[in-house]
Amino acid sequence: MGLLSIIRKMKRKEKEMRILMVGLDNSGKTTIVLKINGEDTSVISPTLGFNIKTITYQKYTLNIWDVGGQKTIRSYWRNYFEQTDGLVWVVDSSDLRRLDDCKFELDNLLKEERLSGASLLILANKQDIKGALTPEEIAKVLNLEAMDKSRHWQIVGCSAYTGEGLLEGFDWLVHDIASRIYMLD
Amino acid sequence: MSDHSSTAMDEEAEKQRKHLAMVERLSKRPQSRPNKPESSSESTSSFLSRFSDLKTSIETQLAQSHSIASDAAQLKLHFQNTSQSISNLEKLVAENSYLLPSYDVRTSLKTIDDLKHSLQNLTSTLIPKKKFSFKNKPTKKDSAIHQPPQNQIATPHSDFPTRRDSPGFANKTGELLIEKLRGSEVGEFALSDLHSCEVRVIGSVRALFVHRLRDCRVYVGPVTGSVLIEEAEGSIFVLASHQIRIHAAKRSDFYLRVRSRPIIEDSNGVRFAPYCLRYEGIEEDLRGAGLDAETGNWANVDDFRWLRAVQSPNWSILPDNERIGVVDLSNLKNEDKEI
Ligand SMILES: Nc1nc2c(ncn2[C@@H]2O[C@H](COP(=O)(O)OP(=O)(O)OP(=O)(O)O)[C@@H](O)[C@H]2O)c(=O)[nH]1
Ligand SMILES: [Mg+2]
Repeated sequence: MGLLSIIRKMKRKEKEMRILMVGLDNSGKTTIVLKINGEDTSVISPTLGFNIKTITYQKYTLNIWDVGGQKTIRSYWRNYFEQTDGLVWVVDSSDLRRLDDCKFELDNLLKEERLSGASLLILANKQDIKGALTPEEIAKVLNLEAMDKSRHWQIVGCSAYTGEGLLEGFDWLVHDIASRIYMLD
Repeated sequence: MSDHSSTAMDEEAEKQRKHLAMVERLSKRPQSRPNKPESSSESTSSFLSRFSDLKTSIETQLAQSHSIASDAAQLKLHFQNTSQSISNLEKLVAENSYLLPSYDVRTSLKTIDDLKHSLQNLTSTLIPKKKFSFKNKPTKKDSAIHQPPQNQIATPHSDFPTRRDSPGFANKTGELLIEKLRGSEVGEFALSDLHSCEVRVIGSVRALFVHRLRDCRVYVGPVTGSVLIEEAEGSIFVLASHQIRIHAAKRSDFYLRVRSRPIIEDSNGVRFAPYCLRYEGIEEDLRGAGLDAETGNWANVDDFRWLRAVQSPNWSILPDNERIGVVDLSNLKNEDKEI
């Protein structure tokens, strides 16, 4: 039995999923994780390294790795790729100027072999801000349609401020991972 | 989501139930983040000693690799164990990252990154490569830090959606720029490519973006979300916000009120002082933004480029005698264009 199938078997028993949250600094990753977990979001500092949150979601245990997006620490992202079941790419939909950066970093990430099997959820965050781009516009800018056909992906508009869209996004992610890991063999 | 067998109504009901569950959870949330234990410095030092013990033992493990290099199976196991130890160390940092002073978090991350590198190097030198392979794949290490050539980065902006109508000021030189936002709901506000301008924004916005300012003075009412400043030089900013990120700034002064720690990256010669803005009705705006109380965070700057416990040379506290006094926008005359 290969290492991978052993890991899968262990995971299946524990119904555990490893989720990696990345995206540019200021996109709202930490706010989203705390909001989903029902925690206070009124004082959040830019993330210096990373935080891990274990959240029970339906019958699954999600280990969510929230990694800081400041330029200096983006080079550490690769330390968290291993065994990632779900990748959440968070976009600040109101930060039009840095969408270029955003696309560049996402493209780089998707080249990563260790992430090739991960389901990809793109959260077009900050939809509550007047002037924010819609998920459709974000999809166009990031050229998501051109993505590798084997990739499972979904884009969802959301606001960590109001909570809107977060459940929809995570529902898709969890179901997609579950259908790959737990139900299929 | 499309392949679910349940009917749309069931799904709707389920969604509704989940939403209620979340609202329920949110309503029970604690009023604030759990307080740090009183003995936070004590827990820091106990963390640091555990960290350094684990680090030493990993370094020993790494050093032992050479002596078992002849036994391929054992070596592989050894590398797996070492990799596990590094993961454990990483978990330790993650669990403590809320409590630790920021430079400790940064140095810990750097240490872990270095250990991973050493392990990677050892693995690639001690475990012999296959004689040949059909695919000429780059090694993992290379691909991880691989950057495409410069010309690929500059993707054309052809179908780039831009919002012409988004509020803000751009491409101005030597002007006095005034915006009164009172009463209107404003989302993001952007200042870009300003030279020798004075900017006065009265009222509250959700997000403020600042890009490429030179020799400017910027006075802005409370920002309920975050401020992002990139490439400012020779400028003065008076800002209140929940979060402030400053990238690539030079010789600039920041008068801030912030709920979390301001951060700087790739900056130097930046100085900090407390917020000093007034205009009619600012108290109400500050209250509305949850920024009525001084947090003292204006002085708790984190420099992402600085990995040591001693004060970063890139920023400092603005000496009292060099600070501008209170700036009262209600009293400033509009004709006064001198900068
Ligand atoms: N209006 C609005 N503001 C948001 C939303 N989500 C996050 N923010 C604000 O955006 C700022 C950045 O949020 P964070 O959660 O710290 O962002 P991050 O992605 O974790 O940033 P790093 O840790 O630096 O990588 C904060 O001031 C949040 O209050 C949203 O949906 N709407
Ligand atoms: Mg964060």
